[in-house]
Amino acid sequence: MSTPHTHKSNRAPVGAVQCENTSLNLLKANDFVAKTIRDRMAAQSTLVINITSSAGSGKTTLMQATAARLKDTLSMAVLVGDLETERDAIRIREAGVPSLQIVTGGICHLEAQMVLQAMDHITLEGVDLLFIENVGNLVCPAAFDLGEDYRVTLIATTEGDDKPKKYPRMFLTSEVMLISKADLLPYVPFSVEAVVQDAREVNPDIHAITVSSTSGVGIDEWCEWLLERVREKKGSDESNDSVVFLSKQLGSM
Amino acid sequence: MHEVSLVNSIFRSIELEFPKQDVERVRGIFMRVGLLSNVEPVLMQSAFAAVIETESAFRQATLHVEVLPILVHCAECDKTSLVENYKFVCACGKPSNNIVQGTELLIHKVEFALDDD
Ligand SMILES: Nc1nc2c(ncn2[C@@H]2O[C@H](COP(=O)(O)OP(=O)(O)O)[C@@H](O)[C@H]2O)c(=O)[nH]1
Ligand SMILES: [Mg+2]
Ligand SMILES: [Zn+2]
Repeated sequence: MSTPHTHKSNRAPVGAVQCENTSLNLLKANDFVAKTIRDRMAAQSTLVINITSSAGSGKTTLMQATAARLKDTLSMAVLVGDLETERDAIRIREAGVPSLQIVTGGICHLEAQMVLQAMDHITLEGVDLLFIENVGNLVCPAAFDLGEDYRVTLIATTEGDDKPKKYPRMFLTSEVMLISKADLLPYVPFSVEAVVQDAREVNPDIHAITVSSTSGVGIDEWCEWLLERVREKKGSDESNDSVVFLSKQLGSM
Repeated sequence: MHEVSLVNSIFRSIELEFPKQDVERVRGIFMRVGLLSNVEPVLMQSAFAAVIETESAFRQATLHVEVLPILVHCAECDKTSLVENYKFVCACGKPSNNIVQGTELLIHKVEFALDDD
């Protein structure tokens, strides 16, 4: 790995160099594909949510809990990114929702191109709500737009409550912060208040919900938020009957 | 964390932008990375050193990484201020996440050798 790169100094350019000022955005290709996804999902009024967190914060478990609550109310699907295995998609399918694993083969984040390719292998027609569970990592996924409508970041009560300051870009680009594993709050040194305050210093508009997929705390509020967003997304399409249906559901919650 | 794939996209972007004969003459690549891009200059240099081992066209190139601080613009007082400690607040005290600098991930200059050696 660490062979000295002497050739560089040996053959350093002598004489004049020519400079080209340019502006090559390294994320241009990703952003272009993300726009393709966004346009395609807008045309069929599918709400797209990108779920990010560190590894093990409870993303897949939340997908299972959300599926249990909403699968009879609306049509859901989940794309799930993972470094190597297919376990998460199996867990979500067992919860009764179509799910497809995107195995990144060691890449630490999902890119729009991977999502677009996966979309050819799952039926998205008539799907109201598409989740994309990102690879567990708060650094790299922050830079990659996947064509989502909203980015939701989980922070578990078992992690340090200093995450928003350590990974500001993720919190800056997220509309919602879910404080997960709330059932463990009595046992861990974690201050919900402090984490919300830190997150709001980075992103004053971030919406915070405290949830537990195991006890069910906050799952109503989370699902209500989702239904409201789905309704908004469909709102632009007046002819859609499910708008009325979803409004009724909301009223009853 | 994804420095190697970033180096690869630097090379692919340059190959797309410039004619093939110019690519061979690249000697300097100047990047600007915003503090929010999460790019670590030191890791970038090691990834660069590793990737040019197999990318012979870029063997003689040197990478320069400039990190840009985060600037936000406040709509209230129409001022731009520096964000320190990731506290997105304008000097006037109003919160602002209207970022005008700090998310960049771009190549702003490329240097070419004038004659082949
Ligand atoms: N106590 C508790 N454990 C949870 C909760 N949600 C997830 N877990 C556990 O946390 C671990 C990681 O969860 P998982 O959903 O796979 O995390 P992911 O890597 O973010 O998808 C598993 O052992 C889950 O059982 C929760 O709300 N409360
Ligand atoms: Mg998972
Ligand atoms: Zn101000």
